[in-house]
Amino acid sequence: MKERLAIPNLGNYTIALAAMVDGMGAQPWWSTYTDDHAMALGIAAAPESVCLPFKAHLGHFIAADDAGVENAMMVNSVGACRLNYYRGMLEDILKDMGRKIRVFGLGFDGLKPPIFRYLDPPIIPLLRCVAVGLEKVKAIDTIETQTAYTRAREINTGETSLLMECCLRELTQIKTKKDVRLFHQDLSRRFASVAIDKSRSPLRIALIGEVSLLRDRQLNQNLEQILGHQGVETKNFFLLGGEIGNTFGISMGYKKQTAKQLALIAKPYLGCEVGGHARDSVAHTINCAKAGFDAMVHVCPAGCMPEVSIRPILQRVSQDLDIPILEMSFDEHTCSLGVATRVEAFLDILKSRRQRTKIRRFA
Amino acid sequence: MRIGIPRAFYYHSYPKLWEYFFQRLGHDPVVSSPSTQKTLETASAHTETENCLPQKLFDGHVISLIGRVDAIFVPRIISIVKKHNCCPRFGALYDATRAVIARDVPLISIEINETAQPLTKILYRLARATLGADRQTAKLAVKESFSVMENHHRAQADQQEKQPGQRKFLLLGHPYTLRDLFIADPIIKKLKQLNVPLELMTFGNYNIKPSGILWCVFNMMQHKLQNLDPRDYAGVIHISTFNCGADSMMAERFRRLCKQKNIPYMMLMMDEHTGKATVDTRLEVFVDSLSWQRTDVAI
Repeated sequence: MKERLAIPNLGNYTIALAAMVDGMGAQPWWSTYTDDHAMALGIAAAPESVCLPFKAHLGHFIAADDAGVENAMMVNSVGACRLNYYRGMLEDILKDMGRKIRVFGLGFDGLKPPIFRYLDPPIIPLLRCVAVGLEKVKAIDTIETQTAYTRAREINTGETSLLMECCLRELTQIKTKKDVRLFHQDLSRRFASVAIDKSRSPLRIALIGEVSLLRDRQLNQNLEQILGHQGVETKNFFLLGGEIGNTFGISMGYKKQTAKQLALIAKPYLGCEVGGHARDSVAHTINCAKAGFDAMVHVCPAGCMPEVSIRPILQRVSQDLDIPILEMSFDEHTCSLGVATRVEAFLDILKSRRQRTKIRRFA
Repeated sequence: MRIGIPRAFYYHSYPKLWEYFFQRLGHDPVVSSPSTQKTLETASAHTETENCLPQKLFDGHVISLIGRVDAIFVPRIISIVKKHNCCPRFGALYDATRAVIARDVPLISIEINETAQPLTKILYRLARATLGADRQTAKLAVKESFSVMENHHRAQADQQEKQPGQRKFLLLGHPYTLRDLFIADPIIKKLKQLNVPLELMTFGNYNIKPSGILWCVFNMMQHKLQNLDPRDYAGVIHISTFNCGADSMMAERFRRLCKQKNIPYMMLMMDEHTGKATVDTRLEVFVDSLSWQRTDVAI
């Protein structure tokens, strides 16, 4: 029997990652969000003041070990952020708990990442699966953007969210690149079947901040859906396709500004790399203000090193370019009602703000 | 020109360097007074609520300088030691200060990035271009201020080593927590009161081997702990500050390391609300229980 491999959660994109792992000769163990049980396990085992994504990952791997999974894969990073030390600490904690699961790093460790050295996958099936995975990333990108557009205009609230679930479930089952492509082409027809009110001009809000929080709906208390059901068109700035396209220089169907271009945009406010996606957050805010977005929502785990340190800068951008920013930080004590209340209050302000500017324009 | 230097962060990482440097160039450095509860109170009205305690104190120091000086010196710090990096907060320090706290005050800034360029070169350029010194003065100012800093580092290290033969307690922490009057002083005072020989971590040695930790200060601590002799040290007290992201990762690692070496380890988390009684009690208990443990061994 194939060995199993637990992979970190990256929201709906985990579906694509799982397809790639299939080619590595291991059976993937995954979920599109960290469930309550895994969260509780992670919170109990992690040190008190580490950030929420760490607790989520730890809980996810403990749950995997409970299910008898032998291996786990963790991303590495070389930035100034805490993510650098995640893997080592996960390993230490799991070992102390007497868990048998092995944690492998991915990347920045010699030519071949350790996980490849261990599993030693044959190259051709691997490449084929990676190609399927990349195709799935593209499809998920489309699903995400289509959902954001349709959900804000749907007549029967909740219809789009259901459709999205169906699409994702179907995508999980697809095995070949050709089928994924056909599915991808079919997406626009499916989303067109949702009854929408085209005359609406919904509030446009962009989501920026930390990756796990932007994508894991358990961690962000389903923020995107809350906004969507309130009739807001969201733009989530973490689209994996764009990130992959920029990192490896391949075409993923659409263009995203590269880190260099974003750095140039952020330069008047922030002159150097901070870590994580902090500099991108500043640049996106400037871009969105110019593109006429109604507001930004900045999400990060409580105490996130890079994102918290740029908050004063975001405040300044907000004042200078006249774009409201809602800053939300999440930890294990954040409750969904609190999030919903804050979002509702924020939306009320935005609606009256829009009304005011309209009146001013006519006067 | 009166140049303000906040008594936080880089003031403690580069002791004496900035004052001497600006003075040598004929300017008037004004270092803000040591931090107190008042500093924190002034800061908390303006600073970002989720910032760590040292950052809040830093903001307080900057506010206390506004109006008293012509410009404030706030560098952007990317790496203090070659091939290492700093807390992400330091990279954004200049831009964040400029954005809100000190938006109407001129700032003097440099980018400290030892990995790319030694600080001596950057300082020389600052003296020549921004402060308008001639070549000779700039060169001398840089050279002398560095020797002043090195002397100070050496003096600090000597002071820590010249202690009676008893087993010592090692105080771990960032340079800007250990040397800060508000954060570390209550702890140091209490330990002195308990008559415990004490050693403060010093950060003068920049020649450190890479050990997988990229944060320079923590790499220094890691080396110190690795070379710690249980016969000389009775225990390690790690002073951490609330919401310090780096500490949250590293304290766990140091705890493990100390456990391996069989040296008792305690972490004290300081925040703006920490009452003196809490700290006192924990220190007394730690010291007492260790002294009992030793008599047990002797019997």
